[in-house]
Amino acid sequence: MRSKGDYILRRIASAVGTLFVAVSMNFLLFRILPGSAAVSMAHVPGAGPGLREALTREFGLNHPLYVQYVLYLWQLVHLNLAVSFYYHQPVLGLLISDLGNTIPLVVLGTVFSVVFGVLTGIVGAWLRGSALEHLSVVPALAFYATPVQWLGLMLILLFGSVLPTSGRSDPFLFNPSFAQESLSVLNHLILPSLTLGLVLYGQYTLIVRSAMLETLCEDYVLTAKAVGYSKPRILRVYALRNGILPVISVIALSAGFVVGGAILVETVFNYPGVGLAVYNAILNRDYPMLQGAFLILTVSVVLCNLVADLIYFRLDPRIS
Amino acid sequence: MAHLLEVEDLEVFFETPGGGPDVHAVRGVSFTLDQREKVGLVGESGCGKTTTLLAVAGLLAPTAKISGRVVLNGQEILGLGDRAMRPHRWTEMSMIFQGSMNAFSPVTTVGRQLADAIQVRGGQPKAKARARARELLSLVGIPAERASSFPHQLSGGMRQRATIALSLACEPKIVLADEPTTALDVMVQAQVMELLDRLCDELGLALLLVSHDLMLVTEMCERLHVMYAGEIVESGSDDQIVGAPAHPYTSRLFAATADLSTSAAPVAIPGAPPRLDHPVAGCSFRSRCDKAFDRCEHEAPVLLPVRPGQEAACHLVEDHDVGEPGLAVPGGSEFIPGGRDGSA
Amino acid sequence: MAAPQIRELPSAEGLTSEDAAASSPMAKVWRAMWGNKTAFVGLVVLVVLIVLSVFAPLIAPYPINQQVGQPFTPPSVHHLLGLDDAGYDVFSLLLYGLRISLLVGFSATIIASALGTLIGIIAGYRGGIIDNLLMRLTDYFLVIPLLPLMIVVADLWGATLFHIIAVIGLLSWTMTAIVIRAQVRSLREYMFIRRARATGASHTRIIIQHILPQVMPLVVANTVLNISYAVFTETALAFLGIGDPSQVSLGTMIEFGFQRGAITDGAWWAIVPPGLLVTVIVLACSLIGRGIETTFNPRLNLAHLSMRRARLIPRPPASQNSRAGGANGTSA
Repeated sequence: MRSKGDYILRRIASAVGTLFVAVSMNFLLFRILPGSAAVSMAHVPGAGPGLREALTREFGLNHPLYVQYVLYLWQLVHLNLAVSFYYHQPVLGLLISDLGNTIPLVVLGTVFSVVFGVLTGIVGAWLRGSALEHLSVVPALAFYATPVQWLGLMLILLFGSVLPTSGRSDPFLFNPSFAQESLSVLNHLILPSLTLGLVLYGQYTLIVRSAMLETLCEDYVLTAKAVGYSKPRILRVYALRNGILPVISVIALSAGFVVGGAILVETVFNYPGVGLAVYNAILNRDYPMLQGAFLILTVSVVLCNLVADLIYFRLDPRIS
Repeated sequence: MAHLLEVEDLEVFFETPGGGPDVHAVRGVSFTLDQREKVGLVGESGCGKTTTLLAVAGLLAPTAKISGRVVLNGQEILGLGDRAMRPHRWTEMSMIFQGSMNAFSPVTTVGRQLADAIQVRGGQPKAKARARARELLSLVGIPAERASSFPHQLSGGMRQRATIALSLACEPKIVLADEPTTALDVMVQAQVMELLDRLCDELGLALLLVSHDLMLVTEMCERLHVMYAGEIVESGSDDQIVGAPAHPYTSRLFAATADLSTSAAPVAIPGAPPRLDHPVAGCSFRSRCDKAFDRCEHEAPVLLPVRPGQEAACHLVEDHDVGEPGLAVPGGSEFIPGGRDGSA
Repeated sequence: MAAPQIRELPSAEGLTSEDAAASSPMAKVWRAMWGNKTAFVGLVVLVVLIVLSVFAPLIAPYPINQQVGQPFTPPSVHHLLGLDDAGYDVFSLLLYGLRISLLVGFSATIIASALGTLIGIIAGYRGGIIDNLLMRLTDYFLVIPLLPLMIVVADLWGATLFHIIAVIGLLSWTMTAIVIRAQVRSLREYMFIRRARATGASHTRIIIQHILPQVMPLVVANTVLNISYAVFTETALAFLGIGDPSQVSLGTMIEFGFQRGAITDGAWWAIVPPGLLVTVIVLACSLIGRGIETTFNPRLNLAHLSMRRARLIPRPPASQNSRAGGANGTSA
């Protein structure tokens, strides 16, 4: 039986490998863009010759592709993501502040979807075989099937008069205190994170229900029943404890979906996060911004997968 | 004298998905179990012995419909709800499941699961429960330090011993054992059965053993019931069943078992048990019985006494064609299980 | 209690024993769709939608590139779903949009399923180095982000339906490949495969005659789910402006609703129908996929814990079946 440390190292190595491929893919895709390579990166509209020279030098735009690749990686390590065509500012700085807005949105949405999904999943498993069974599954499936952007628009139509539907906080607040500002931010987070949460919760309902049903068929649940433990105790200690494992994996695996969802949600709600940055970058053909944003998003997905792997490994003693 | 466990006219039906006729899995089974007694239910797969056990333990699936009486310690327990059943569970009656089943949750240590049972069901404080758990493990021959092992880290035999330990956690009076050694290696089988036997004697437990292994049951139990197609077709003491089986099925079961001491080859029983979802006229064994005659076709036999303490459900009994020791089996040779003179 | 009727023994999910004995797995798939309620509903809905889209030119009451009234006219008897921002009839747009969306969905899925099944079968059957290589390939394709690729393709070659279909198809075969490979790997160990090899059948023959029929149900279930994914992705691409601007799809309808002030004007009829239709498509596909899956992996085991429990019934009358009538249970 290999040591635990061995497994962790292997997972990390694998994640690094995937990261490497993703980064390279990122590089390749944006180098194929129209116009010669020498033009693209340094071609910041309205930039002075000094900036252009600096960029050309840093990214080796006069050199063959493989040189550019190495320089690209080198700059990456130094956290240099070039300059935005549209904002005329370094990409990294812009994206970091955007990330600061996207993270609360995604976290809130995920928390809502997990909590709600697990609850409805448990209920769904419990109701199995009765007429009420469909009550938990059908809404979950329906919400899962709705296009994220459309659901956002629906929520705007329904609640637009009551809740804020645009921006990060109220722009008309005059000299707000920390509390007032925070409240406004939270207020603006409600509809976007609700949208994200509603679309996501469905898959957790299905997963948890399925996992619980599987677990509830297991022999040790029958044994627990024979021992005479109370039903809530069996559900909690045996069924849930075992059934929660696949949920962890799914949370991580949906990171990819969350990324796409965040882009759409932020666009609908004009919420200044990485997603909206992507949308604007597409609109403005702001390639450095696009490249930087996608890099951040891909890195997040790989990291999420790695974390989930490690958590799962920690929780399930059967993996050696 | 009141019996410890009394089962009377137990009937179990299972609903079929899709709304077809119900499966009649257990048809009017009755037997008793006294203190310190070891009783066996034996029969081939699908004969309803496990279902009978689960019905007694109150662990049947929700698709089951049951009738009859099960009386434990003077109290009716058939069909009780969870709450009403709970006081009886594990503290009066416990179970040992098949060796192939995962009786333990894979994510908690074995010791912890034992201690939990002692603490929650036995009402012991935590520290005492932990100590008792380790004692129990030693009792079944598992080194106490394995208490911190997870179930998948134990071998099959050890896991089954741990299952036995679990069943003793709350000092029950009855242990129900469902094929406790079936999934184990032959060598381990013998060890585990010997352990169970010894523990039952030492702790004064009653045992209801279910198995398809006729030899095993005749060795372990003083009294056994042979089941076929949901019914008990023969009952008797181990000596009686071994020495003078009265029902043709019982004899064929013996003949179907390989025995190293004789040179007789095992003889398989042709055919298959009847489907339990539609009624069979007459005796359910007749299609496979070489002694069947026209009465068997349309009249189902009832359990009739063969001699004191033994009864069988066969028309031959009525006609007094059976009951002599050393009943001949097909093939002509007398069959007495080798190496035994009739004592358990 | 009356004596039970003698009928065929049904199995899980309402298939009769005839069906269980049906030789080919594809036959089982068909029966599953008919017999399984969820799958059947999904199938009916999908077929209705397909028919609607095929006959769109005949059914649509108005042409879709002509202004037929004031922008954002609410629904009325003349215009069932009102008019959009340019004065076009929403109901007609919906039908043609459905057509395009389904076209993209099915076409991209054909590519994805074909590729995925091929790669999955080869990887699962061959094993060894080929399997490793193909799985590496799958991993790398998994990492390619759809959006940047689509942006690049749109910039380089334009964003026509063809390109969209190609990109979606070429990036979504990975799930199918992984799932098919897993099943082929377990199939490979079955005796009938080994027997076929022993009698000298060639690999191709084995794959076509034995493996393909067995994987078909999984392929069908996966294909159906791919369709929903493709339709969904098309709406996302259209929303972000990387869709085909010359065609009306359900995705572009949602985008126009967003971009051209339907929200601010409260013209819900321009936004609700296309999204609703997408939801229906995805839902129908999910139901079919789940239905097929349930048929082939019926959860025969019952949960040990649930709301229901075994119930007591009154004693059945003494019939031929219960023979424990008189003396019984006499102890030793």
